[in-house]
Amino acid sequence: MVSLTTLYEITFGGAILAFIAQHTIKQLRTFIVIVTSALGVYIVWRLPSQATDISFRLGDFQILWGVNEYSQLFALLIAVLGFFTLIYSIDFMKERERLGYFYMNFLIVIGGMYGIVYSQDLISLFFFWEIMTWSSFMLVIYCCDDAQSIGLKYFVFSAIGAYAMLTAIVLIWANLETTSLSVLFENFTNLSSGLQITVIVLFIVGFGVKSAMMPFHVWAPDAYAISPTPFTALFSGALSKMGIWGLGIVLLKLAAQSGFYVWVQDIVAWIGAITALLATFYAIVQTDAKKLLAYSSIGQLGYIIVGLAIGTPLSIMSALFLAMLHGIFKAMLFMSAGAVFYRTGSTDMNEVTGLIRKMPWTFLTALFGIITVAGVPPLGGFAAKWMLYEATIQSGHYFLVIVLFAASTAAFLYLYRFIFSLFLGQEEKEYADIKEAPLTMTVPMVIMALFTLVVGVFPGIFINPIGNAMGYFGNYTFNWDVSSLLNEWGNHVDMMTVVMTIGAIFIIAAIFITIKNYRTTRYVTTKDIHTSGEIPTENENLTYAVDFYKPFERAIAPVLKRSIDKTYNLIAENLESAFDFLRYVYTGNGQTYALYVVLFLAVLMVFAELIFGIQL
Amino acid sequence: MEINWSSVIGIVATPVIAFIVGVLYGGAVRKITARVQNRYGPPITQNLFDIIKLYSKKTAIQHGVMQHLGPVFAITASVTSLYFIPVIKDSPYFQNFSFNGDLIFLLYMMVFGSLGMALGAGQTGNPNSAIGVSRGLSQMVGYEIPFVLALVAIMIQFKTTSLNELLAVQDHFTNWIIFQSPLAFVAGILAFLGMMHYAPFDVVIAPAEIASGPPSEFGGKYLGLMMTSGSIFAFVKLVLFVDIFLGGASDFITLIIKTFLLYMIPVLTGIVSPRFRTEQSILFFWKWPTFIGILAIIVVVLNG
Amino acid sequence: MYNDKDAKKIVDIIQSYARKHSLWVVAYGTGCGAIEIPPTMTSRYDAERFGIRGSATPRQADVLLITGYLAVKTLKRVIRTYEQMQAPKFVMGFGSCTINGGMYWDSYNTINALDRYLPVDVFINGCMPRPEAVISGFIKLQQLISEGKAEGAEKYLKNLEWYRENQNKVIPNWNMPDYNW
Repeated sequence: MVSLTTLYEITFGGAILAFIAQHTIKQLRTFIVIVTSALGVYIVWRLPSQATDISFRLGDFQILWGVNEYSQLFALLIAVLGFFTLIYSIDFMKERERLGYFYMNFLIVIGGMYGIVYSQDLISLFFFWEIMTWSSFMLVIYCCDDAQSIGLKYFVFSAIGAYAMLTAIVLIWANLETTSLSVLFENFTNLSSGLQITVIVLFIVGFGVKSAMMPFHVWAPDAYAISPTPFTALFSGALSKMGIWGLGIVLLKLAAQSGFYVWVQDIVAWIGAITALLATFYAIVQTDAKKLLAYSSIGQLGYIIVGLAIGTPLSIMSALFLAMLHGIFKAMLFMSAGAVFYRTGSTDMNEVTGLIRKMPWTFLTALFGIITVAGVPPLGGFAAKWMLYEATIQSGHYFLVIVLFAASTAAFLYLYRFIFSLFLGQEEKEYADIKEAPLTMTVPMVIMALFTLVVGVFPGIFINPIGNAMGYFGNYTFNWDVSSLLNEWGNHVDMMTVVMTIGAIFIIAAIFITIKNYRTTRYVTTKDIHTSGEIPTENENLTYAVDFYKPFERAIAPVLKRSIDKTYNLIAENLESAFDFLRYVYTGNGQTYALYVVLFLAVLMVFAELIFGIQL
Repeated sequence: MEINWSSVIGIVATPVIAFIVGVLYGGAVRKITARVQNRYGPPITQNLFDIIKLYSKKTAIQHGVMQHLGPVFAITASVTSLYFIPVIKDSPYFQNFSFNGDLIFLLYMMVFGSLGMALGAGQTGNPNSAIGVSRGLSQMVGYEIPFVLALVAIMIQFKTTSLNELLAVQDHFTNWIIFQSPLAFVAGILAFLGMMHYAPFDVVIAPAEIASGPPSEFGGKYLGLMMTSGSIFAFVKLVLFVDIFLGGASDFITLIIKTFLLYMIPVLTGIVSPRFRTEQSILFFWKWPTFIGILAIIVVVLNG
Repeated sequence: MYNDKDAKKIVDIIQSYARKHSLWVVAYGTGCGAIEIPPTMTSRYDAERFGIRGSATPRQADVLLITGYLAVKTLKRVIRTYEQMQAPKFVMGFGSCTINGGMYWDSYNTINALDRYLPVDVFINGCMPRPEAVISGFIKLQQLISEGKAEGAEKYLKNLEWYRENQNKVIPNWNMPDYNW
């Protein structure tokens, strides 16, 4: 029962069934969707012990699907995130229209991603890649007024990526006559060096688009912000990881064999670091929570790209660790933003304030999320950041690490703004009767939040499977204790000691502050604040949220002035005017076209005689 | 399991000593400031009285659980960072957990408290608190960069990220990192000015401007815990810098002398300085200190 | 000697000593008298040597210093500020205006006697009192604290109705939140 074909059959079949159920028996739809994704988790979990490679011929091409530790890592992330986001979507999407369309595409995206990570040849990789792109495009344009232009932007960039990838595949087929990944890895050095670098660059572009690498990131903020939140969580959490999955293969399996490896490493690492820094700066100046998280997502993917590009065991470990963790914490953050949207109808950070007492579980998730993103111990993010910095320093990328540090310190700014604007600050009358999000939304969020804590205490539960997955790239051994982190100079951090210390002091101090003057400590509302004796009225909102980081914006103004998005628009405008002359050619008038035909024939006759010596 | 009594004593005693030293330093700073301004000044124990008074306030208010826990986050960060720093070199009592952490861990641990405090201050709903937090976080991005540059220069020079190994390198007066890597020290000390939040980088607290900023809604026991944490944290930062640059200390008297002299740098700069605006202080840190830090790394790389 | 009663006393002694030597004055100048505060705090008279320090917000403060006449509008803000302070808290009336209205005794919009509206612990006489007088007022307050006689906060709570009645009489648009200590 447990095999790749069953996985594909169940997922894609579930997608179609969900669509049919929507139009016949609506009650069944949710059931089908949840069961499908749950079965997906089960099958992916059971796969490594039982699955065999599946291979069949399609025309000239040998199609090959198979399971390895590396794909298993990503498949598990997809399956678990898919399951959680679908549970989350039950209540979130309840009131929406066209749910059959939504759930069908949602499951197809999941199926497409399974297909990508399990494909062992380039043809099925490309095929599933396009399935994923198309169905995610459908979900991006699912709602809202400006979905058209945003969807178009996403689609244009996906197309660029896809054609880059297709060109690379054609080049490989033309020169090596194979589409199998393993054959490609073995024979890659047989290609001429010019061809090698072309293939590498084309693949990096292809995968870089999906992983929102600069300068191909411009689709991401808008597409993330506009797609329905349950899908955004998957979009940012798992779908962008497909780009990382591919970049891992390209950088560590292909580029590592070529003579340009050092150059590729440095360039990609710097692109990643600059992506991280600039995306962080843009995130700071956003006013929409989802857009902020979208930029944050781009920044985090930048870190992952740096880790992959550096290519030492520790840095690959940190990259994959962060990739897995990013899937979880970014889903958490998007889900909490979505829960706020579900209750208040807005994610505008200038508008929504003071939800902490109304939505405590959502706040808790957001809190764990931001602590994980910030990389502050004791949660899981620390382990990833720590390994990345150590690896970057020890591999001699000294200035890279400064850029990364700057980005991660600046990340505190937008993270704080996210949690402050939505949950803290003045409690407003407008949001006085907001309730906590329904259980289907809070339960997945809180489970993931607790998981980040577990990963923080025992990074080993991530490190060991990732260490196995890294067997795909070469012989790496990580014989670490379950709770310790180790760098290449032999320095280590023992997370168990750290967490015990933090926990003990925190609990002692919390008990002390609670017991002390317990009876004479009083809760007062956020209207009862020191305002120089003035008494704010109920409708007066004193939250400092608009232009929260104005001083910082002033400091980084020169950076913000130039945006890549604007550059693209400028290019597009110039192209538009450049191609304007075509309008004079294609007038749309039948007589003109007739004239062209006559002219063409005349020219043909003249030239045919001259060049080919044929008498007509 | 055998209990190592010397480390147990250390774990109990270190925060107490750090608190006492930090509090007395705080008082001494007030006294010195007063003398510079031609005043008599409060007694050196003044900060201790203030803290006891704050704890003995009979009532307190809170705006919610995050404000209630804000000072708890702060003290957790202070004491945890303290435990992961070797206070006295080679002493069995004051190593605590310093073998289980390293510099990058400390960098992040020291932010933990600020983040918790920022969350606590955020929940009060006081606009002044939020303004203070916004300024503080922005300024942090400023001074972290030269600080990290200095640390990276040292890490690559001595090929370690562990404080204990850095201490082992500085076994003799002439081997102190301040002499081995003076540029890193300059970058580090300029960042240190920002970390201590004395003028000209005191825009976060700015009592006359934004009513003391983040702590403006904290009173009584909450402010008391914050001041306790602040005293310990000042000591933590001083010991960290002494350990990194000045060869650590093998006894208390050396520790006191070194930390006190180091402390005087931000304090004396602060007394005679006006206040930078936030973006001015960010750009200050991104100019000369960053340049010197980059120079420090280049020198290390060139020297092999 | 060291029975429970005495032990409690020792804690009390430490607490009252600390309270006495750490008086944070909320920075709120009400009338013309606020001009005397800067010289009191700065190098000429240096009140900090007694542990007297300005504090930015009433949440952190111990002492509310009413520096001079109180317009009715200001009175409302003063009451608000006082109620936001945390016990134990002390009020000092500064200058003749707070005692009997001083030169504004027949003004249409100032109050005459501060202690009808807030529990005053120490009055400082004069128009204006010089910094020496202010400091002597603080020292008197310190004496009262160490003797346990400065209990304005309890007095206010006990006679809240009476204070509220007086306050309501002069303040026309009363919209203060309840004081629930």
